[in-house]
Formats: sequence, structure tokens, C-alpha cells
Amino acid sequence: MHRFILIIILIIIKNEIKMSEEKVIVANKGLVRADFAFWVGQYLDKFYDGLENKKIMGNKCPKCGDVFVPPRKICGKCNIVIPLEENWVDLPETGTLMNFTTTAYRVNDRTSRKAKDWTIGMIQIDGSNTSIIYRLLKMELEDVKIGMKVQIEWSEKTKGDPSDIKGFIKV
Amino acid sequence: MQKVGIVGYYQVKLYSDANYGRYEMIFEASRGALDKAGLKKKDISTVISCTNDYYDGRTISNCFTVEVGGGYMADESKVEMDGAHAVLYGLMRVLSGNHNLAVVWGGSMASCYPYHAARLYETDPTWERPLAYVNDITSAGFQMRAYMEKYGVTAEEIAKVVVKNKKNAAKNPLALEEAQLANLSVKDVLNSGIYADPVTELMVAPPCDSVAALLLAPEKQALKITDKPVWIKGVGYNQDAYYLGDRDLSGCKSMNLAAKMAYSAAGIKDPSSEIDVAELFEAYAHEELIFAEELGFADKGKGAEINSAINGDLPINPSGGALGGNPPCGTGLIRVIEAVKQLTGEAGEYQVKGAKKAVASGQIGMCAQNNILYVLEGN
Amino acid sequence: MGRQVAIASAGFSEHASKRSDVSMPELVSEAIEDCLKNAPSVELGDIDAFVNGNMPAFEGANIPELWMTDWMGARNKPLLRVTTGGTTGGSVAIAGYYNVTAGLPGVDTVLAVAFEQQSQGDTSVGLASVAYGEISILNTLGVSYDQLSRLLSAGAAIGVAAYQATTYMNKTKTHEEDLARVVVQNRRNAAKTWWAHLKMPNLTIEDVLDTPYVQYPLRYGMVCPASDGACAMLFTTEEKAKDMCDIPVYVNGVASVANETAVLGYDGSGSAQVDPSMQLGAIRSAELAYSQAGISFPRKEIDYAEVYAPFPNQELMWTEKLGLFEEATAPEMYKAGVTAVNGELPVNCSGGVNSTNAIGASAMERPAEAALQIMGKASNQVPKTVHTSIGSGWGGSLNLITLMAMSDQPQRKWR
Repeated sequence: MHRFILIIILIIIKNEIKMSEEKVIVANKGLVRADFAFWVGQYLDKFYDGLENKKIMGNKCPKCGDVFVPPRKICGKCNIVIPLEENWVDLPETGTLMNFTTTAYRVNDRTSRKAKDWTIGMIQIDGSNTSIIYRLLKMELEDVKIGMKVQIEWSEKTKGDPSDIKGFIKV
Repeated sequence: MQKVGIVGYYQVKLYSDANYGRYEMIFEASRGALDKAGLKKKDISTVISCTNDYYDGRTISNCFTVEVGGGYMADESKVEMDGAHAVLYGLMRVLSGNHNLAVVWGGSMASCYPYHAARLYETDPTWERPLAYVNDITSAGFQMRAYMEKYGVTAEEIAKVVVKNKKNAAKNPLALEEAQLANLSVKDVLNSGIYADPVTELMVAPPCDSVAALLLAPEKQALKITDKPVWIKGVGYNQDAYYLGDRDLSGCKSMNLAAKMAYSAAGIKDPSSEIDVAELFEAYAHEELIFAEELGFADKGKGAEINSAINGDLPINPSGGALGGNPPCGTGLIRVIEAVKQLTGEAGEYQVKGAKKAVASGQIGMCAQNNILYVLEGN
Repeated sequence: MGRQVAIASAGFSEHASKRSDVSMPELVSEAIEDCLKNAPSVELGDIDAFVNGNMPAFEGANIPELWMTDWMGARNKPLLRVTTGGTTGGSVAIAGYYNVTAGLPGVDTVLAVAFEQQSQGDTSVGLASVAYGEISILNTLGVSYDQLSRLLSAGAAIGVAAYQATTYMNKTKTHEEDLARVVVQNRRNAAKTWWAHLKMPNLTIEDVLDTPYVQYPLRYGMVCPASDGACAMLFTTEEKAKDMCDIPVYVNGVASVANETAVLGYDGSGSAQVDPSMQLGAIRSAELAYSQAGISFPRKEIDYAEVYAPFPNQELMWTEKLGLFEEATAPEMYKAGVTAVNGELPVNCSGGVNSTNAIGASAMERPAEAALQIMGKASNQVPKTVHTSIGSGWGGSLNLITLMAMSDQPQRKWR
């Protein structure tokens, strides 16, 4: 059983060709539901299995030694395939804040709107060489400092998808 | 590289909500460029368009633009990046010797679709997209913070870029009306509301509606078509790593490598003294400074020290740049056109005196992942 | 004048209706691995630039080449993205050719990749946006709105193809049996191609004619499948190609011409096209590509053809329009075995689009297979020596035709 990420898009179709105010020659209405099921591939399959059990797994490039979270098939720097069965690394729940931003914008795949400010951070999990991007929780903006230590706040119920990590809190 | 000339151009004025049909706009641009150069439909041998299926809300968005863009029964293709990349493909087609006149057009109508939502489709659907923490808004915040943190650049210095570009836009009749702000102050920019901290609303290139078109011809034909062709002396294009966590956001490696490629083709050794004017696609104000540094106009972190006003040492974006209006798929192409105007002396109120060599850039992706740079020279 | 361009290698991923074991970038990397395996002296580091394309709306990912940078090996390398709908693969291959022939400093070896992972996207919705744009033309042609949902489930392209089929059949007095014969030839060929999707070694004409109509005259058994797959081609200069492979395949002519109809005057333009089997674009593409390649007598000079045809009537139609057969004679040629693997002019020995259709990749798989036949490396290799071959693509709303003419001799010898 391979995992996939489901993204549903609803398209409302209203197609009219108006000759004048009164005369409409074609009028179609319909609602199309598009289910995009993105196969995550075997590397992320394994990673999401880990997330479901509240564990972070990365994989290591056998050449340059960079550790990737989430794991990847190919190290872009070295241009080599990291074998699926090898070079897996168990990583801790802690990391370092590398960058952050605050915004009131919420973007989803249909629209963008404004709500309450939230803070998003780039966090480098300890022992890895890349950053992942998540919300920073339970922090005042004044407390947020680049270089600070943070740790994962897990969702109560994990499902094996990106939402298993609720965000990061101060250590 | 053989000489290829830019022999004509046309840009539809930028509107935040244009009262145009999409196809009228495309027709106006491509037909306008042909008319300006005194050419006919029959003369077109190839057409390269630049649109995006997500921006147009239509699969195979070039399907319905063939005729209005001049591509009926001509050798035709579409580049789905920035308009500046379409110029590259047009250039390649002319260089091949198969074609003597390439029409390149690009643009879209941002008023017709949710811009940020469409940009969200660029993110990795198997990891980043479901939660949407990575999008064009937050990535702008990360990029500006990384740049400020690393070099100690202040928000005021970045706001000055906005003041300059919006002031320049006020002199450009084709710029977006809402962006033509001759009396803007640094304080206004900093107080314009948080977009993604530290980026404020006025530091963002406003998405808008427009289409632009450009004509390319080989040297021999170019000289017959116009007295004032502009030559493409060099081009460089490059793509950086995808994940923001893999990149150093305080700089822009893809712009650096694109510049190296373009400069070596054009034989440019000292860009800050050899280049007279730059038209850069800055999606956010801080990108203009980052790009200027990567292009060798200033040392790293010193981009704000360049005197880049119209009458300055090295004018950057005298037309107002993308901060004067950013029609997706068209902005990079408009930068090339603006550089051409400077070199042919057609820039009117924002003309840089005695401009001989110019650079123009285009980009796509979060934090300018893919960049393209042209070195242009007047006849 | 541009430089002579050669194809040094081509590769495929495995195709299936659901490649659920790989993500989209991983699928692409499979095709690249296979492509480089066929040219052992080339490493990813030797590649100077990349061209990439698919049909983005079918997969719900915008400009996906940004995402798959590392999987292609394109980090810190020049990259161009070209998409033109159904012809995307062909347009990407042509862009690969132009990248090399342009002679930009430092760009000699170019990897072109086209792909589609239809199982994860929603192709019917993707096509709906084409079809809804075209609804008035479909109405004019006789497809009612009620039928649209049914058409969409099989791909909206069939709506147009069915009308092409009826107009073509009417003009040429072709029968359903002739269509079925094309399908049988393709699916049997596919059984011998390692990467193909629908492999049916024992298919008969009766089997095909036993399936129900999707839309007259096209039956369920005649329609292409929806596949997941990717294709990669390696373009380089004449000099470098000689070091990379035994038999370089020279690209001597390329064209992509459209004679689209803009919905019969709707949206301000219109060269109203009444007959969808007229195919002015295909005829013009053939003229352009053949004249560049110095081909004067296509029927005599072309040894092998890969023709993009999701539906069997299109294969008949385009073999004629591309100058391979006299008008209205293609069905006879298929009957006489001219187009079989051991025939005089073999067509679609890979099984064609009719057997494997990963849309974005399909139009590249045609020139890729045609090149491999010249190299002698195709899965279902024809027994005779192939000197000159062509690969075509079809897309747009009705007709944007890409064409690539290849040979084992460089172009300049003809000039």
C-alpha cells in the first residue's frame, strides 16, 4: 500500500455566451470535483510511517554526508541516488530556528485571505543539513530569535502526513 | 554567438483590472509590435508564447492564442516560465538559422485568478503544499530576513528601493496607475502593513494585467527592418535548488551563475563600469539589492549603496521595475523591452542619458529560484 | 547558421496505469537513468542544460520542474520549460534540438525530459477546461452538453477525434474493421516493447469490434489508455555524439505548426475550420521539416515512422497527411502489411500512443523510438536497416503538429 496526499479541488463552471442581456445562447453550469492523489513515493512512504509513530527519519547522502529531512532519492549536490534500503538516520525531535516570518495571510489552493498573525519558521532538525518549514507555537514574537532551540509539538492523533507535526515550541 | 537583433516591441499598459478580453490584449501586443516594425503577418516565421495554464485557468493555455498571437500556420511553441525565458527560446530559434523573424509574446491577467493560490501550486504537493506554510508570501519574508540578518541591512534601506521605483514608475506612462507614486516616503513604505514580516505591502510587486511582445531577427534582416536594432550580446540562465532549506536565501546563486554565463558571452569583465542601465525583475524590493550584488554592481551586502536613480551612477529599473506592475509571464519580457527602450533612446521621461549597454533579467519560482539575464547593446 | 544536432541516447521509465510506487520526480529520474544507461560514457555532470515539460494542469502541479530540480540533476544548471498540451513531448524534444543548434556558449549537451503521471491527477478535469472552452465548437460539431461528462471520462480529446474519424471515414470509405486492424497491429507491437502499457500479443480484430462504443465510431477497445510514464532524450553536437554512442542520430528537420480554430469566431478571431480531418498544420509541418532535412520523396526516403495517434483513425489520417501514403490509401497499406514490423515502411513498432499514453511524454516517445530504431536499440527493432525516420506529435484543441525528421547522416551532406 503506497501512501498519497489527497488534494481536492472544486471547480464551479458557469459558461455563458451572451448575445445581449436577454439572449443567452449557451448556458452551462456544473460543479467539477478534482481529486489529486499525489503518490509520495517509497522514500516518503517510509518517512510518513515514521511520522505516524512520532519519529523523524532522514536519509544520508553516501557521498557528501548531508542528511535530508524529509528523505530524498537523489542528492542534488552530488547528483547520486541514495539507495532506498540504506543510509537511514533516526533524528531527534529538536532543532534550531534558522529563519522566520510573521504574516496574517492564509493561502490555500483556492484563495488567500487574512486572519490573525501567525509565525512560520525554518527549522533545521538536529543532525540534518536542510530546514523544514512549520509554525512556531506558544511563543511571543519578541521571544523568537534566530538560532534558538525548538522542539516538535506533535498532533494528538497522527495520520502519517505532514500535519502530524503541529509545529515547533521552545525547548 | 551570432548577432541577433531586437527589431520591434509593444507593451499593453498595465492595469490592475483591465477592461480587455484576454485575446484582445494578446492581439494588441503582437500586432502592435509588427506594425511598429512595419512588418506583415506573412513575415512571421516562428512564434513563441509565454503563458501559464494555472494563471490562465485553462489546460493547454496556448490552445486559443495561436491566431491572435500571429501563430496561425507558423512554427509555434510555448514557454511556461517568465516572458524573458520565451525571448531565450525565440533567440535560439533565430540562431538556428531556421527562422528569420520570431515573435515572442507573454503575459497574463492576474485580475482573473487568485494569484497566491496559483503560486501555491508550485510547492511540493507531497510535503509542503497540504499545510501551505511555504508559499510566495512567506518565502518573501524568509528571503528578506535572511538578507538583512546576514549583512545587517536595514528595512529603511530596502524601503528606499520602493520609493525610487515607484517614483520612476510615475514617469512611465505604461506602468500600473496604482504604482505610480511620485511622493512616496520611506515611512509610508514601512507603515504600509505587514505582508510577511519584514516585507511590507508596498515592497511587493503588484500582480496585474498586461501582455507584451518582442520581435527578433538575425543580423542581416534586423538591419533591413530598423535603423535602431538592439543586439543580444549575451544570455545566461540558471536554476537553483528547490527547497528553501537547501539554499542560502541571503544571496541568489542562480542569478550569480546566469550573470557569469551572460557576461562571458558578452565579454564583460567589470560590470559596474561597463553596464549603463539595468532592468531587473524584482518580485520584492529586497531582490533588487540581492540581484545587483550578484550581478557584480556592488559587494555582497552593499547593494543599497549603489546610486541607482535615473541620473545615478548605475540606474536600476528606471521604468519602475516590477514594483511598477507585475503581470505574471510578462514582467521579464517587459524588462527586456524597457532595456531596449533605453538603448534606442525611446524611454521618454525616464531616459538614461547615453545608455549603450544594458542588462535585463527575468525570474520564476519561490525566492527567484530560476533566473535569466540578458546583456543588450545598442547599434 | 546553427550547428548540426545529434541524438546520443533516449530512455523511458516503465509505463503503467498507476505508478503508485514513485512520486512524480522519482518517475522522471527513472527515465533519465535509463537514458544515461544507454550512453555509458555520459554522466549527469556532463549535461550542460535541461529542457522539461508536461501538462501541468493534469497533475495539479504548476511549473513542476522547479520541484524536480534535484531529481533531474538540474541544480545550478540552465533549464527551459516548454509545454504545448498534447504535443508537449514533441515540443520539448524540439526545444532540446534548438538548445544545441543555437550554439550558446557552454551549452553543448542537453537533456530533454517529458513526463506525465496521470494516475495522481485528474485528467478529465484537466481536459474539461479545454473542452469547456471548446464547448461551442463541440456543440457545433454535434456533441451535446449531456454527452460531455461521458466524453470526459474517456478523455475529452475523443470528442474531437470521433468527428475526425467520421469525416475521414466518409471521405475515404474506411470501415470500422480498418480501424480495428490498426489497433491490433499496435497492441501486438506493444507486447514486444519493454516499457509499453497495454500489451496484447493475441488481440484480434474481432476482439476489438466486440467492445462497446465510447462514441461512434470509436469503440472502447480502440481508445488509448491513460498511463504514468516519462521519457528522456539526450541531444548534443555532432562531435560529442560520436564519443557518446556508436550510431549518432542526426536531427535534420523540426517543425511545430498549428492551424487552431479559435472556437468559430468566439473571442475575436476565427479561421473557422469545418473539417477536423483537413490538418493543414500537419501538412505544413511536414513541408517545413522535410525541406530542412532534404527529404523530397517521403514515401521512398523515410524508412520508419512513429506517428502520434491515440485513436486508430488518426494513425491512418496522419500517415497520409505527413506524406507517407497517398490520400485515402492508408487503410489498404495496413491491410497489405506495409506498416508491419517486417514491412516496407514500418509504423509505430513501439505500439504507439494507442498502447501507451502518458500524455506529456507521448509526443517525445515518438521521436525517441524513431531514433532508437536508427541506432538499432529499439525493443521491437525492425529487421531492415533504418536510415531515416520521423516522429510526430498531436495536440492543442484540434491540431498543433510537431514533427522531427532524423537520419544516420548529417544534414549538410544534402546541401
